[in-house]
Amino acid sequence: MQRLATETCIVSLAYLSAFFATFEILMPLQNLFFAKSAHSASLLFLPHGVRVLTAWLLGWRAPLVLLPGVSFVFFYVAGWGALTPSRLAAIAIAVCIPTLCFQLLRLLGHDLRPAPGKPPCWPCIMAVGLMIAIATSLLTNYAFGSPPMDYAAYLIGDIGGLFFLMLILMVIFRRLRSYGL
Amino acid sequence: MSEISKLLELRKLLLDMEDSMGLQDLSTVERDIYYVANDHARSAGTVKTTTLQDHALLANVSRPTFFRALKSLQGKGYLEHCKDSVRGYYTVKTPAK
Repeated sequence: MQRLATETCIVSLAYLSAFFATFEILMPLQNLFFAKSAHSASLLFLPHGVRVLTAWLLGWRAPLVLLPGVSFVFFYVAGWGALTPSRLAAIAIAVCIPTLCFQLLRLLGHDLRPAPGKPPCWPCIMAVGLMIAIATSLLTNYAFGSPPMDYAAYLIGDIGGLFFLMLILMVIFRRLRSYGL
Repeated sequence: MSEISKLLELRKLLLDMEDSMGLQDLSTVERDIYYVANDHARSAGTVKTTTLQDHALLANVSRPTFFRALKSLQGKGYLEHCKDSVRGYYTVKTPAK
């Protein structure tokens, strides 16, 4: 129980950090370069990376530990409107689809879960991230009744966000190594 | 799997990414030895040479290549020979660059 609480705190903090970095830093920059963009979707949606890496590392516990962070973000953006059926569906999609995709692949014989002695495969994680992004974009935009343009924007944002988050983490780990940590 | 080991798995994934981008200073054999040593040292604290050699990931590596890589890893600061132990035991280190 204590372990689940710790994981929930770490993942929620990571999710919120990724969300605020996306909306307070990256989106204003994006708006500078794409000022005439009609939609409000981020083209580098870092929280998708947190969802994918959490599902990869935690498996079935991921939906539970992602739920507080994802719910907070929906309440932050939409207020009590987060309780409308379409947004509740979007929350469920955001927390469940990553784990479901990893489990589906496992059932199909591609078990990507980390295990001692098993070399990691970052292109595989990126490929699953793409699969999760497609499923999430289709289901979320269907729930919202969004125009076709938003489907593509969500997809690009999710994939870009996953890759960019992994790059950021890679740089952070390299920095930590250089400090002997 | 503990929080620390999850962090190690994440680190392994990002080392793989570094390697693909040509940013890593380890060869493939060195990286595989480091992965296996990391996994064993996580539970036991240290890792024995024979444990590394017997691992499936390193089964096809020739003895000279294996020992060259092991020596190189010590030189780069990724592994350290156990001072208070008999021969063939190593602790996993994070090198300062």
